[in-house]
Amino acid sequence: MQNKNDIKLEKHGAVMLLDIEGDITAFSEPFLNEAYKNANDKGAGKILLKVGNDAYINSGGIAVLIQILAQTKRNNQNIGITGLSDHFQKIFNMVGITKFATIHSTVEDALEALSAG
Amino acid sequence: MTINSKRAVEITLANQLGYERVAMACSASFAQLFGFPKDRIEDLKTVVGEASVNAMQHGNKGREDAKVTVSLICNEDTVTVQVMDEGRGIEAFPPAPDIEKIIEDDKLITGFGLFLMKELADNVEFNKMTDQGHIVSMTINMKAQV
Repeated sequence: MQNKNDIKLEKHGAVMLLDIEGDITAFSEPFLNEAYKNANDKGAGKILLKVGNDAYINSGGIAVLIQILAQTKRNNQNIGITGLSDHFQKIFNMVGITKFATIHSTVEDALEALSAG
Repeated sequence: MTINSKRAVEITLANQLGYERVAMACSASFAQLFGFPKDRIEDLKTVVGEASVNAMQHGNKGREDAKVTVSLICNEDTVTVQVMDEGRGIEAFPPAPDIEKIIEDDKLITGFGLFLMKELADNVEFNKMTDQGHIVSMTINMKAQV
């Protein structure tokens, strides 16, 4: 029952958008790490993660996302997240992800905020 | 587990990651029968999913021949979730995860599942041992705001 993620990279100025298709669980680790590495190889200064509004994100997936946040902090990169349902915005706030990543309601808002920051 | 309620459902899951989604979908359908608000149904799904994954990975230690039983009982404004596995319960509870420390120290990340269960449910009881297995029991006030 391992899920896999297709992650498309789109460069918007200094912001690299990682468009994540599929659920985010512990099985997402290799896909997210590879996408983040590819984003860095392409010179990403800032990172925007876009998740599907109906994506299932469990605690294993939260742990994978926190690993990415740790890497962005080490690399002095701003990171934003968009596409989250109201429920997962609440969950991300509960676990403290919002201390390290900004949550945006749309891709456009996120790109504007990250580009300005 | 045996449930004696007209407002109840029980399902048995294969001990395979991914099958928690079946229990989550079942819990959502069950809660919708009673008209509970959508945001609490999402909380219920997360509690059921996390407890089921814990049962599969930690309780049953990933054994393919084991099973996880999930029961849901509605009593007025509350739903009680019981998740049973074939393990012996939790010997040592991890501390609440501290994300700042995790990120600063690059520490191993554990404990988010238990943390979410405790945050989203109004009452959580671990380590209830029965002849049939180990049960985690959670009660959720479906009308409360979290």
